[in-house]
Amino acid sequence: MRRRIDITRPVLWLVALVLAVLILLPLSWLAVYSLTDKARHFTLQNFVTLFSDPDFLDPLLTTAIIAVTSAAICCVVAAPIGWLVSRSDMPGRQTIRALMTASFVTPPFLGAVAWELLAAPNSGLLNQLFRALTGAESDAHLFDIYSLPGVIFVISCYTFPFVFVLVANALDTMPGELEDASAILGAKAWTTARRITIPLALPALLAGALIAFLQAMTLFGSPAILALPAGFHTMTTKIWSLFQYPPKLELAAAAAVPLLVLTILLLQTQRALLGRRGYSVVGGKYGPPRRVELKGWRWVAMIFCLIVLLNPVFLPYLALLNAALSPNATTFVTPSTLTLHNVVFVFTELSATALVLKNTVILGTAAATIGTILALVIAYVTTRRLIAGSRILGLLATAPVAVPGIVLGVGLFLSYTRPPFVLYGTLWILLIAFLTINLPTAYQQLQAAFATIHPELEEASRILGATRLTSLWQITAPLLRTGVIATWCFIFIGVMRELSAAIVLFTSQTKVLSVLIYDLNESGDLAAIAVLGIAMLVITFAVVLAVNRIPMFGASAGARLRNS
Amino acid sequence: MASVELRGLTKRYGSVAAVDNVSLKIDHGRLVCLLGPSGCGKTTTLRLIAGFLEPTAGEIHVGDRLVSSKARTLPPEARNMSMIFQSYALWPHMTVADNVTYGLKLRKLDRVTIDKKLAAILATTKLAALADRYPGELSGGQQQRVALARALIVEPETLLLDEPLSNLDANLREEMRFEIRRLHDEYRYTTVYVTHDQSEAMTTADLIAVMNGGRIDQLGTPEDIYDRAQSEFVARFIGAANIIKGRARDADHLEFAGAMLRVTGAALVSGETAAIAIRQHDISLSARAPQDPGNVIRATVLRQVFLGATRDYLVAAADGTSLRVVTAPGNLVTEGSEVFLTLPPERCRALAR
Repeated sequence: MRRRIDITRPVLWLVALVLAVLILLPLSWLAVYSLTDKARHFTLQNFVTLFSDPDFLDPLLTTAIIAVTSAAICCVVAAPIGWLVSRSDMPGRQTIRALMTASFVTPPFLGAVAWELLAAPNSGLLNQLFRALTGAESDAHLFDIYSLPGVIFVISCYTFPFVFVLVANALDTMPGELEDASAILGAKAWTTARRITIPLALPALLAGALIAFLQAMTLFGSPAILALPAGFHTMTTKIWSLFQYPPKLELAAAAAVPLLVLTILLLQTQRALLGRRGYSVVGGKYGPPRRVELKGWRWVAMIFCLIVLLNPVFLPYLALLNAALSPNATTFVTPSTLTLHNVVFVFTELSATALVLKNTVILGTAAATIGTILALVIAYVTTRRLIAGSRILGLLATAPVAVPGIVLGVGLFLSYTRPPFVLYGTLWILLIAFLTINLPTAYQQLQAAFATIHPELEEASRILGATRLTSLWQITAPLLRTGVIATWCFIFIGVMRELSAAIVLFTSQTKVLSVLIYDLNESGDLAAIAVLGIAMLVITFAVVLAVNRIPMFGASAGARLRNS
Repeated sequence: MASVELRGLTKRYGSVAAVDNVSLKIDHGRLVCLLGPSGCGKTTTLRLIAGFLEPTAGEIHVGDRLVSSKARTLPPEARNMSMIFQSYALWPHMTVADNVTYGLKLRKLDRVTIDKKLAAILATTKLAALADRYPGELSGGQQQRVALARALIVEPETLLLDEPLSNLDANLREEMRFEIRRLHDEYRYTTVYVTHDQSEAMTTADLIAVMNGGRIDQLGTPEDIYDRAQSEFVARFIGAANIIKGRARDADHLEFAGAMLRVTGAALVSGETAAIAIRQHDISLSARAPQDPGNVIRATVLRQVFLGATRDYLVAAADGTSLRVVTAPGNLVTEGSEVFLTLPPERCRALAR
């Protein structure tokens, strides 16, 4: 009899160890720093300062206001659109869905820059238009994006798609018979909506609200671009400013703790809400839901959706396009002033471009490749329950979801600026950050892919005489191929649009695309941003379109809960 | 060519024994059904034989080879077995021909031999016209036959079937039952067949092992199992039997509902409570007292249903025990009337357990 040599176990332990280091090390240092002073003696002083000094209390309050109002706006806007797209006979439903995806994948910081172009008090295109149309004074303006409402508005623009996806998915999968059953018992349309449809969709809406809240709370790019010029801070920008000279790392760590704790709590709540949603599909066979006829309101509904989408998609994209092609980012381009100068400038003259593109491609490729392999191994082990404790492995792999980007950035900075791992200043630290941030999505996607492959497919191969490796190679790998490619692409895009962790980890030699865009914004070079931003969007759309052709992943793109 | 033997086979998950000390010897070329309700351990037993699971205790021998024991388990690929899965497990990215020849390619046979064997098995399973289709393009019955062809083409020593017909509709199921038996008779491998459907087991098996709670409750030919159930579980699970409980007067007499029944089967112990089984269609029911008063009890009709070929009665005996009786359709007694039931002594099987 042949002795079975099982190399799987050591490999799995190694993976578990890597995961533990990736996630636990930064969080541990975060905890240590937040609870000690410069000499590493235990103290609660950091938290006392945090919760008593107006310098910190104000951002805390601002963040709370932004998060609550954004979440509320997102629900109010996204829920009706979700219902219209999923349940009504509104024309152009597929187009609205596609445009939602577009605003979904637009990096929020790029949207913020675009809205600077549109609604800065003096140079904003909308304000210029307002002055031209009304003949108002040259210092009059209609909008001021550098304000608390401005920040809330822009954050909501790129957050409400999260709510939309959750609500629309819930309504899509809700069996129409549930409503029919209510109607046949004598309920009028509105009663059915109030007693059946809305209660069934409510958990998804609440879960969406929590995600929107989290997103608004942990976003760095938009507030940094819009709030700092207006002279106020949010928690994320405050944490970032604590990294500026002279760095106050203990306070930064302490300031990150509330974000982390709140995120974990809210995600738990969200899971509980969505977990109970299972009751909406109980037994029996269901047909697709009936569409509600809007009659004369069909076109009104569509126009409403398009007007909403003006804000995250049409206007910003036009503004970026305008800035990219005009000699001056903030003047309207005309056929005679149309120029490709900005494009030429960015790709040939701007010295940072080459380095940044190289870094981004290296990091994107490396993170996507390593991340996919890591996620593949973990997903295989957890779906096939190969070792005891595989559940823990799965938990570790999804844990980074609960760590906001900037919090992870702080933790990594603290962990890897000291022996034995001095990685700060190298691409390694960014690689670790991007890997950690993208691991949960990659793992969830591949786990879903594995779950669709019945274990008996592998067993059928083995009983016919193939070893485990042969079976994996001949049966599992070909069936997983599309899933693996999709995951790789998603990580690559994720790396490209990540800003909040990169902003505390980059050095002059390790800049990435998102950081460059942020820097260019500081130096007021909006035309260059427009060119880079459009390039970024084109790549992203190409990838998303390609991936959406794979049916398995079309829907789960909505599972991405990451912010930039 | 090989027999399959399980010796004290046990598989525990934590403190729960899914398979509990099962011993079974299957001679070469026989077809054995593991029959039982879901959760009785039959599929676990099959997966232990296949080598997908390692036993907690006990051994599995194939021919003179020890293939599974607590210490060493031969991996599935080294067992020269084939298996048909409940889901069929056809590989969706391969055509019918690719699916079927997979095992032969692993065995590194030459192209010509593979083609010859493929043509033969496709003809046997009536799939020749479908060789280039993908599994997704086939009907359920066709998929089932591909699974059969894929398992048989490698000429296994042992064929394992895990509820192979549970996904088919009733007509196809009947047809495939005989197909499986026919192919078994043609190729003469040792077959272990797992099912929860007793008529499937009856039509295909040489031997049936009725499983309950991880153990084999009764092992026997289909006739044994049907006519000579040894336990209440088997009597209830196989066919439609009434269970009558009473007090034994001597080795072959049972006191029940004010009457004395002569019974056969296991010897009863005087004075003890005992159970007997009698099938619904073995009881004769009449409105008038029969001439021979032996083994007759009185009962009241609770309800009756006309089923076309038969008439189905639910009656209550004097002590309240309810019995089902199947009679000729013309035998009509109204609900609420008193009737006389004759329970032929040779049909009253005293149960050992």
